[in-house]
Amino acid sequence: MSNPFRSHAALPGETGRFAMILSGIILLLAVLPILTMIVMSFSGASNLDFPPSSYSLQWYEAAWRTFVSPDASDVLSLGQALTTSLLVSCLTMVLATLVAVPASYALTRCEFRGKAVALQLMSLPLVFPMVVLGLALLLVFDSLPFHMDTSRLVIAHVILALPFVVKNCTAAMVSIGTEVEEAAQMLGASPLRAIRDVVVPLMRSGILAGMLLAFIVSFNEFTVTYFLYNIDVMTVPIWMYSRTVSSLDPTVFSFAVLIVLIDFALIWALEKLVGDGGVSF
Amino acid sequence: MEHIDLTDPVGAAPLRPTKAVSPTVRAWLFLTPSMLFLAVLVAASLLVLRMSIGEKGAEWSGFSLASYAQLAEPYYLKSLLLTLRLALFSALIAVALAIPVGYCMSRLQSPFLRRIFLAAVLLPLLVNLLLQSYGWLVILGPAGMLNQALMGLGLVDRPMMLLYNQTGVLMGLVQTAFPLAVLPIASAMRGVSRTYEEAAATLGASRVRVFCQVVLPMSLPGVFTGATLVFAYNASSFVVPLLLGGRRVPMLAVMVHDQIAPLMNWPAASAAGVVLIVTTLAIMTFSEYVTGRRRRMLEASQ
Repeated sequence: MSNPFRSHAALPGETGRFAMILSGIILLLAVLPILTMIVMSFSGASNLDFPPSSYSLQWYEAAWRTFVSPDASDVLSLGQALTTSLLVSCLTMVLATLVAVPASYALTRCEFRGKAVALQLMSLPLVFPMVVLGLALLLVFDSLPFHMDTSRLVIAHVILALPFVVKNCTAAMVSIGTEVEEAAQMLGASPLRAIRDVVVPLMRSGILAGMLLAFIVSFNEFTVTYFLYNIDVMTVPIWMYSRTVSSLDPTVFSFAVLIVLIDFALIWALEKLVGDGGVSF
Repeated sequence: MEHIDLTDPVGAAPLRPTKAVSPTVRAWLFLTPSMLFLAVLVAASLLVLRMSIGEKGAEWSGFSLASYAQLAEPYYLKSLLLTLRLALFSALIAVALAIPVGYCMSRLQSPFLRRIFLAAVLLPLLVNLLLQSYGWLVILGPAGMLNQALMGLGLVDRPMMLLYNQTGVLMGLVQTAFPLAVLPIASAMRGVSRTYEEAAATLGASRVRVFCQVVLPMSLPGVFTGATLVFAYNASSFVVPLLLGGRRVPMLAVMVHDQIAPLMNWPAASAAGVVLIVTTLAIMTFSEYVTGRRRRMLEASQ
């Protein structure tokens, strides 16, 4: 029954063949730019014609050369940009999770005054225009008397990732009944210990899903970072943009494929963790 | 905390002194760390608001409405209209495409296919827009995939200009925001029980009729949410018009950046930013109102 391409007519409430094929085509179109980019990265020609006239790994070799021996013309090497990116993404992931877990506890288990406001605030970064966030944070950080290079990127990324992490943690916490916590407290655990030793381990998969999402969001962020970067601190997306701003250099395609592969692996892991309930947004 | 009271009559001493912390205080204590980050966001937006009524040159001390007056000039008004029009069209197209995909996602049986579907939906949303724009450049270019296909089919004689104009930007906007439409629609349709479809089919409705008259009306709140999300996301879209529009499609977000990077006109950038915030929040509030009413009606009718 699980085969959607079976020959007998579908029962009501099952997807018919027409709907399946239509959605398949639409989804193919949705990922077409990514697929095109992957094909182009194997191009043997030096222009951007599609499909490429021949296939080779020349751009991967060129990309590898850029990585191991940076051109003097680049303001910053890819290695440095990658280090910054990974550092910012990991810090974002850890910080966002640390602040989101207690927040989601309050939002699911407590009835308190101002809860509606808190809920609205939590989802604000999702709908807040990113350009304005970039502009606003630039205003704030530039008026501070001291310099923050990496940390201002981390603060911006935590704000952007927070709604995703909180949503996933709350979803995980809702599914745990209050009785386990009460049982732990009756057995003598303090409320905080009941949360730390009972509730948090039970919501592990939700927390992990939130962490992965925070990492993905931060690793792929472009708009806000574009306002906040400077010549010393650049993330990989900004580095790639600064390389292609004048002309499209096909080595970028091979870097891009690498990033897409990382993203795909993370998304796949995310789905495995969260299971059929789906990722919460 | 009732269980502590339960132990009291037995005569045992309470395990620990119950502190008189009101639930509100405790909840806000838990919320404090995350609220600190959100406070940065709120404070920053207030700064933008203050800056937008500042004067160029004396941003913090001056006070003038010149930046807003400047926004009423035809050039900026055109940009605002362009932004709203592209956001609206992209929302309509994205929702039309998302409805079949969302329906399939909500009814898929095979776990493997479900994961493939979800991955294909999430990739355009999560993968860096910059990388996807590179793909679009190859697809939309004068000798690109789309032009070759159109010419091969004999639909056009010479390559169409798709890049660096509104057509290309619109396609990019639809593709990158498409997942935001699919996810709420799929979750709304998952909420429509199959028994309704079975009942309608038993009463003789065709598959198309079951979908149009039962499933779709019952998941309309999800459709509205999806459309609003796409609209709000695309109204402030920056990367797509920057890369696919090549500065010839001046959407509002690109204007905000242009006011800072070459022009250093902070008040003008802030005023344009305030317009963006107000537009987004107004649309979100309106949608909240519409879906809220619709949901209440649905609940009342069940």
